[in-house]
Amino acid sequence: MGHFILRRFVQTLIVLFFVTIFAFFLIRLAPGNPAIMMLPDGAPESAVKEMEIKLGLDKPLYVQYYKYIKGIFTEDFGLSTAYKRSVGSIIRARFPYSAKLAIWSVLIGCVIAIPLGIIAGSRQGSATDFFAMMFALLGQSMSPVWLSVLNMLVFGVWLKWLPTTGTGSYKHYILPILTLAYPMAASIARIGRSGMIDTLSEDYITATYARGLSKFKVNWKYAFRNALVPIVTLVGIQMGSFLAGTIIVETVFGVAGIGQLLNIAVGNRDYALVQSLLLISSLCFVVINFIVDIINSFIDPRNKLN
Amino acid sequence: MNNSIIWKRMKRSPFFMVGLIVIMFLFVMVFIIPSFVHYKPTENNLMETFRSPDWLSKGLKGHVLGTDELGRDVFSRLLYGGRYSLMIAFIVVFLQIIIGTVLGIVAGFFGGIIDSIIMRLCEIVLAIPNLVLAIAIMAVMGKNLSNLIFVLTFAGWVDSCKVTRNNAEVVRSQDFVRASTALGATNSRIMFREILPNITTPIIILASQRFGFTILLEAALSFLNLGIQPPIPSWGNMISAGRSFMAIYPWLVFAPGIALMLCILAFNFIGDGLRDVLDPKRKM
Repeated sequence: MGHFILRRFVQTLIVLFFVTIFAFFLIRLAPGNPAIMMLPDGAPESAVKEMEIKLGLDKPLYVQYYKYIKGIFTEDFGLSTAYKRSVGSIIRARFPYSAKLAIWSVLIGCVIAIPLGIIAGSRQGSATDFFAMMFALLGQSMSPVWLSVLNMLVFGVWLKWLPTTGTGSYKHYILPILTLAYPMAASIARIGRSGMIDTLSEDYITATYARGLSKFKVNWKYAFRNALVPIVTLVGIQMGSFLAGTIIVETVFGVAGIGQLLNIAVGNRDYALVQSLLLISSLCFVVINFIVDIINSFIDPRNKLN
Repeated sequence: MNNSIIWKRMKRSPFFMVGLIVIMFLFVMVFIIPSFVHYKPTENNLMETFRSPDWLSKGLKGHVLGTDELGRDVFSRLLYGGRYSLMIAFIVVFLQIIIGTVLGIVAGFFGGIIDSIIMRLCEIVLAIPNLVLAIAIMAVMGKNLSNLIFVLTFAGWVDSCKVTRNNAEVVRSQDFVRASTALGATNSRIMFREILPNITTPIIILASQRFGFTILLEAALSFLNLGIQPPIPSWGNMISAGRSFMAIYPWLVFAPGIALMLCILAFNFIGDGLRDVLDPKRKM
């Protein structure tokens, strides 16, 4: 087990290293001089030179990269050109909102979808199965763009049950969380169902029936455990990408998280901020995937071999 | 498997048939109907803003789905927007499959260090969430159509690469490949004449599933004003613009929203149906 974790950890570090290189060079492809963008229009040549030195743009690339990596470890991500504040402090102020959305929507999605998928899979072809799959197919086809606007219109504007924008009370979170949870619940239900169907056709399940175990026990004790592996993987991927940017949902519902921040930063051409957000979102994603692999290797030891 | 068996199975798969019919309907709507519509998608008319839908009471001469904040005909914009989305999706999926298949076969065939490099490349792209990656690249490279196609392709080629690689690796060690190696076939002949024809099924299934994802991602980018730029219509930017007026003029978001949902649903049906038809062992 220790060997497996270590190997995955080293792989994760290598991937992260290349992501930093990608983020570093991506921003340098951007048109325009960041030093000029920090200054008011028509700033003199000398002021631009001074700003270049302040931002470290006069140094060779590898020195800039070294400084940038050092910055990551000391939580110094540089200066936001639009906010004129340190990127770290802006992200730290906004991250909790995104985390709240991510955690709640994953929880609600799982609570709805896991039982649904398992029951649908163990009663393949029944009416329950049919309705569960209709629910799932519709959910997978809902673009977050359309679903968030629709929810806002129906529950916020027409029925006036819930507030449409902002983050004042818990009520403000209900619509964004539901918007995020539905498509996720849909894919979890489908993967749970197909996992169940695959597992139930295996020989060892027939063997447990032959030993006289009840259907309930077979489903929930033996088959469920096997069907859980793809579910955990999927939940991990979803959770990682939620943290990374519930960009659409946060923009529509005016939640001041890092997804909305990315949209604003792109509009402001605030490249230091875009770069850090790219890095942080992939960090979340990769770390969660790492944790998922470890969890899965406990659920099903065969996974270590892959 | 010969063609008549496949066609028989297709007819028996309700998902596939429903998806196919809806997609054919959408194609007729976006590629043929626009030539009969009276209004142009980018034609402003500030005397006629926010007209409510005439439905079909005046035929295609009226504003079937009303007009928007600049007096443009929503029906016409909807159809042209769909045309852009579908064309972009086709180009993008085609490019993704070409890139993914070539890299995947090369990785699976040679193995070793080449395989490791290509697989690490996949992991790096996968480590950055799709939409974040697309937004960051769009922001840096600038918003235009060719960049949009590049970004969508770049964000999604990994799946087909991984699938192709795993299948190619299995086929590589089979006897007929060894036989053609012994007969002195070149590497490229083995890869594209021997291995490729044996792994087309998973590639076709994957390609059909990529359409839905691509349209979703394009809509998200256009919604954030990073995709197709106004005044050129797309379903994403129509929802984005209609959002400000939706409380009073809901058809401005309903028309593109329902079209988007229907389109993705149909492609997902086809993807699932195709998997049932071509790969009956793995039923979802």
